[in-house]
Amino acid sequence: MEVFDFYRKDRWPHVFCPGCGNGTVMNCFYRAFNELGWNLDNTVFVSGIGCSSRIPLYINADALHTTHGRAVAFASGLKLARPELDIVVFTGDGDLGAIGGNHFINGCRRNIDMDVICINNNIYGMTGGQASITTPHDFQSTTTPYGNREYPFDLAEIAVAAGANYVARWTTRHVHELTKSIKIALEKKGFNLIEVVSQCPTNFGRRNKMGDASIMLEWFKENSVRREKARSAAVDHVDLNLAGQVTIGEFVNRDRECYQERIGVEKHGEKH
Amino acid sequence: MKPVVDLKYCKGCNICIYMCPKKCYSKGVDISPRGYFAAVVSEPQNCYNHKREGKLICELCVLSCPDQAISWHPEGEETK
Repeated sequence: MEVFDFYRKDRWPHVFCPGCGNGTVMNCFYRAFNELGWNLDNTVFVSGIGCSSRIPLYINADALHTTHGRAVAFASGLKLARPELDIVVFTGDGDLGAIGGNHFINGCRRNIDMDVICINNNIYGMTGGQASITTPHDFQSTTTPYGNREYPFDLAEIAVAAGANYVARWTTRHVHELTKSIKIALEKKGFNLIEVVSQCPTNFGRRNKMGDASIMLEWFKENSVRREKARSAAVDHVDLNLAGQVTIGEFVNRDRECYQERIGVEKHGEKH
Repeated sequence: MKPVVDLKYCKGCNICIYMCPKKCYSKGVDISPRGYFAAVVSEPQNCYNHKREGKLICELCVLSCPDQAISWHPEGEETK
């Protein structure tokens, strides 16, 4: 499949700002999807509201653009009604963690078969740079001009605790690892979450002395710590995130029984 | 194969200049038709994929370009 068989060329160039990380995630997803040789006719892309939720509109497949935060809820219904389809959810940090936090946790708990790619840009980028639940401590935004006094959410650890089958976190600096992770998640059954820490030079970087996309990528490179190293250095994992650092790596890879196997709707079709 | 920057899509974010380990790219000096300073492939002979056929390696620039502006073309091919 060529690049513009996968994307809708008539919509190009896309609306994302110069240097936005969403395009990088699209590239990695295309590469993983292409290597697996899957068919776009059998895949549905679901998204909520936000910058990253515009990605399904650029892909040459069926898309469900839903209300704010309810992407996982709509995707659960779609999977149970049409179990032969593959569901991919593109969502942002505000969409998945803040407004749709409850749907997210219960989606992980039920372990419904879908792949969630959460693009975490640390800010509400589309509405003008308000502090979101993942803005690191002491970082500035339009609503926290003296630095964020709160502590951020750790979406990947929540998914591990709630019972997702596969959880990984990468940044847009680690493109090859991200591609590999997306490939594993697409092949795996159950609820798979890939959190991608992405750059937002326009609204997050500009207010934190990182106005250029390459400066933000350098920041990811300097501040990302592998999960195994974070553990072996006997540093508390939570502390690492609070210091503005990013723990990257594969968080969990297990085979819990998923919801549709338990209630028996899987009989309609085989998954690839 | 050599990388080619498509001026129709490039938004001048310079991520390719940062990502390339062999310093193949440099900042643009001319304004592209869309009004950005698009990156230029100034030294394609440094690229890991120079004169390589079949499976390509590295590909950091193609994977990380947010605007899908970089693509691979054979060496002899004329591109503008």
